[in-house]
This record gives sequence, C-alpha cells and structure tokens, in this order.
Amino acid sequence: MTFINVIHAHSTVLLIVSFLLFSFLMPILERWKNSWCATMAVAAHVLAFVFIGNLSWRVFTEGTIHYELGGWSPPWGIEFVVDYLALFMLITISTVSFLILIFGTVDLTHELKPKVLGLYYTLYLLLVGAMMGLAVTNDFFNMFVFMEIAAISACGIISVKSDRECVEASFKYLMLSAVGTGCVLLSVALLYMIGGHLNFAFAAAAIQDVAHIYPNNILVALALFSVGFIVKAALFPLHVWLPDAPSSAPSPSSAILSGLVIKIYTVVYLKLLYKVFPIELFDLLPVFDMILILSALSIFFGSIFAIVQEDIKRMLAFSSIAQIGYVFLGIGLANSTGLTGGLLHIFNHAMMKSMLFLSAGAIIYCTGIRKIDDLKGIGLKMPVVMGAFTIGAMAMVGIPTTNGFISKLYLALGTLDANKHFYLAIILISSFLNCLYYFPIVINAFFGESEEEDGEEEIQVKKLPLRMSVPLIILGAGCMIFGIFPKYILVIIERAVEMIL
Amino acid sequence: MEDLIVRMVSRIVVPFIQVYGFYVILHGHLTPGGSFSGGAILGSSMILFALAFNLERGAKKLSHETSTIVECAGAGWFAILGLVGIYMGQNFLTNKEAGFYMGAPGDLVSSGAIVLITLGLGLKVASTVVTLFYSLIEVEGDAHD
Repeated sequence: MTFINVIHAHSTVLLIVSFLLFSFLMPILERWKNSWCATMAVAAHVLAFVFIGNLSWRVFTEGTIHYELGGWSPPWGIEFVVDYLALFMLITISTVSFLILIFGTVDLTHELKPKVLGLYYTLYLLLVGAMMGLAVTNDFFNMFVFMEIAAISACGIISVKSDRECVEASFKYLMLSAVGTGCVLLSVALLYMIGGHLNFAFAAAAIQDVAHIYPNNILVALALFSVGFIVKAALFPLHVWLPDAPSSAPSPSSAILSGLVIKIYTVVYLKLLYKVFPIELFDLLPVFDMILILSALSIFFGSIFAIVQEDIKRMLAFSSIAQIGYVFLGIGLANSTGLTGGLLHIFNHAMMKSMLFLSAGAIIYCTGIRKIDDLKGIGLKMPVVMGAFTIGAMAMVGIPTTNGFISKLYLALGTLDANKHFYLAIILISSFLNCLYYFPIVINAFFGESEEEDGEEEIQVKKLPLRMSVPLIILGAGCMIFGIFPKYILVIIERAVEMIL
Repeated sequence: MEDLIVRMVSRIVVPFIQVYGFYVILHGHLTPGGSFSGGAILGSSMILFALAFNLERGAKKLSHETSTIVECAGAGWFAILGLVGIYMGQNFLTNKEAGFYMGAPGDLVSSGAIVLITLGLGLKVASTVVTLFYSLIEVEGDAHD
C-alpha cells in the first residue's frame, strides 16, 4: 500500500477530511506557534489541489466516482459522488479560495486583532471544507449538516472584526440562514416521510413511484427547498442579508462570501431540481418560470440598488445580487445553452467578484478610502489594483475578451433557444446598468483630478505587498484568459450540462 | 456569591454528576444517550462548580485554554479514527473490517470504533459547553473594564 494508492482510492473523502482536520488542529497550533497558522491554511489548500487533480483525472478517465463511507453501500450508508458538476465546483472553490487566502495572509494581519487571527483560519478552512462537502454530497442529511457548518463558519468570518456593524450583519445572516436551513430541513423531512430514503438517487426513485399519491407533499417540499436555497443564495426578494455582510466584513471574507458561498447553494439547488424531483412535477408547478421571474427582478433591482451606493464594498455586494440573478437565469432557462451560461457564470463571477472585492480591500489597505467619490486620481498611484478593478469592471459589463462576455453570450443564446426574448432585453439592460455604476469609478480613478481644496494633502498611499498584488494579477489574467480561451473550462461544464439534462 | 449551603451541596453533587456523565458517555452504544447528552451533563458539572464557587477556582480546575485544546482534540480524534480505516486499507470510517475490537454485543467494550468515537466526542461536547460558558463570562467581564 503506497501513498499514491491511498490518494488514488480515497481522494474524495480525504479532500474534505483534510480541510476539517486542519481546521480542528488550528486552535491547538495557534497556542503553540501563532505564526504558522497561515502556512497551515495554505498547506491545506495545496493538499486539496493534489486531491482535486487526482479526482479530475479519474473523472475524465473513469467517469463518475462513488465513494461509500465506512464501506456501507448507499441506501444505508453515506455516499459521496464526484461527477462533472461536482468537479467543476471543486475546481472553482479551491482555486478562488486559495487566491483569496494568499491575499488574506497580509490583509488580515492589518484588519484583525492578533488574538483572533488563528481562529479566522479555522473558520475559513471549515467554510471551504463545508462548501466542498456540499459539492460532493449525495445525501440529504449530509447536505443539511454541511449547510449548517457553512452558515455558522460564514457568520464567524463576518463577525470576526467584532465592531457594531459586523455583529449586526452576522446576526442578520445567522437569523436568515437559520430560516433557510429550517425550510430545507422541513422539506427533507417531508420527502423522507413519503420516500423513506435520504440518498438522492434512492429518494428520487422512491418519490417517482409515489408522486401521484402524495403530490401535495412534494409540492410543499419543493416550495420549502426553493425558499431555503433562495435565502442562502441571496436572490432578489430574500437578499436582505447580503449587502450588509460583505460590506462590513474583512475583505477576504467579503470575497469568499460573494464569490463562492452564495454560488454553492445554487449548485445544490440545481442538483436537487434535476436529480431528486420528478420531471412531471414541473408541469404541475412552473418552478422554472418562477425562477426566471425572480432572476429578472434580481438582475434589475440589484443593479438599480448598486447605482445609488456610496461605499465601494456595499456597491459590489449589491452587484452580487444582480450577478446571482444571471446564474438563476441559466437554471430557469432549462436548456443546455442557458444552463451552460449559468454554470459558466458561476466560475466567471467567482473570479471577477472576488477580484473586485480584493482590489477594494487593497485600496482600503493602502489608503483607507471606502467612499467611491474619494477614489479620484487613485488609478495612477495604484496601477496594479486599479488595473485589476478595471478588468473586473469590464468583465462585469461583459465586454468581449473578458470572461463575462462569454457567459452573457451563452445566456443570451439560451434565451433565444427558449424563445423568451424578454429576458434577452433584461440581460442587455443590466449590462448598460453595470456600465453605469462600474465605469464612473474607473474613469474617475484614472482621469479624475483629485480636488485639493482647503489645502488638503495628497492621499497617502502605502506600498502594495507582493502577496496582495500576485493574487490580483492572477485573477485578472484568469478573467482575460478564460475570456479568450473559454474552452478550457467549457470542457467540464458542457459535460456537466449533458449529464444534468 | 458567598453561600455556604450552595457551596456544600454543589461540592457533594459535582462528583456524582460527573460519574453519571461518564456513565452516559460510555454506554452511548448500548443505551439511549451518548456523547452529546453525556458531554452536556459532564460540562454542566464544571459550570455548576464555577458558579457555586467563583470563576478563578473553576478556571483552576479546568482553564479556558485546556478546554479549547480538549475541544479541538476531540474533533480531531474523530477524524483520525476515520483515517485508521484508510490506513488499514478500507474506506474512511470503516469499523469492523479495519480491525477494531468488536467484542460481544451488549458488553461495555464492544462495537469497535463507536465506543472510542463516543468517548472522544463526549469530552469534546463537555469542553465545548465549558468553553462557551467561559467565552460568555469573559465577554461580560471585558464590557465592565
């Protein structure tokens, strides 16, 4: 039994267990060697890259991987499944969270008290581990447990600064996500009552059999699932926690919340819609049309709210609400082009939104400015940061050669395929609205003259550390590369869509 | 709180509560209850001690640092027991096939890894309860400074 064999056979579970184990050991390490915590967190991510590399090789050569915990086969035991959809999420989560972490190792020492620094990495690893668990789980109960872990650790990384705004925001998130998980638990109970299975595959078969006897149970379960996941994913009417949370939290927390946490719930929702619920149900209840309407409202109002914001991080948070609308639009279109666009937008938005949040964090780190109006003339003083911000803004608007263009193109083609031209208009209007709030910042930053009335001195700019600039450069390059060569990620997404539909 | 009756009663009661807590934890695989209920009983005995006497004497028995470390070690213990399965060439969290001692059903030492997991998690829950108590008390203390 060699080391490589162990990785080869068990990489699915080792991926999640290594994150959990590292985060459990972090508080002990923190008492002993405080300065090693960041290194350990990075090491956990590097280890994860090894496992994910192995998983992707196996998924591409052997197909879907099933892993049975404890050797118990599915109806009784817990099962992890890595298919193309899960693999796509694993790659997105690991890459983006690794870059955010590298940025955070410098930024957090500046933003947090040294006492909580080690504990922050504990929560961060727990959150990443829980998200990866949500991507691979094939079991209602594990889904619920990972959702709880993710919710609690997300609350932790929001409230870690322990000032008034952060505590208020995290309390809001705690309450709303408790409502969300409560809805999900209730609908799991409803489905278990009639199906008698917790495993997705077995539950789906059982529900299919009894759907005509208990249609109301299934409808209520679907409604509760929808509410729960829409709260978690911050789609328009239930988005109220999102603007507060990322705007007050430390920048790496904002980046991971807006970039990854809200996305993983949309993927789980997608998985449930297609894997568990019988397809005839959607004739009875037009879920996809409802999702389309909500996503259109979300796209429109997210952008409208973002225009009036003064704080840069709050503006980015509202823009996330609009962008999560695109992902749901892809799910709601329910054809292969639209779904490809939606899934692609998960990856693209994870990159560009975390890059925008990190560059906002870098601006706050170097100058202390948070107000959008004060950013005049900052572009030439911080070329790397504002360059990254510009690429992010361009990708948000969807200018060709950036990755935002590709996903919007797929979504637009998807609306045409589905014969729903109204939503094409929504996509176009939203792009104009995005222009309206992103480009003034960029233009002001590069071409605006800073007003020096009342003998106000020049903005003091600290030098940007290497560990903060490198993640920004990598993310910016990623946005451009995946805008020009989208096929490298579409390889996975197209197979995932093929498997889902 | 300087109350002789409360102090004497809790001094007598605390060992019994702790024995009962350990009983519930160790019989987790045989009777209702287990690591969570037993751990909560065990942790509440420490809270009772710290409330009846004072925080300094309570912290002398089990400090905040120790309870944090026990908490993390308990959770880590579960993960490591799962990894034993992989080391023995089986799946994660495998019990019997990984060579844990199964014993006869109904005995105290039986059911392989389950009893070890319950023990570790019981200590984890107990120390979590104590850590939460200390955290709440200390936050209040900070506010009065």
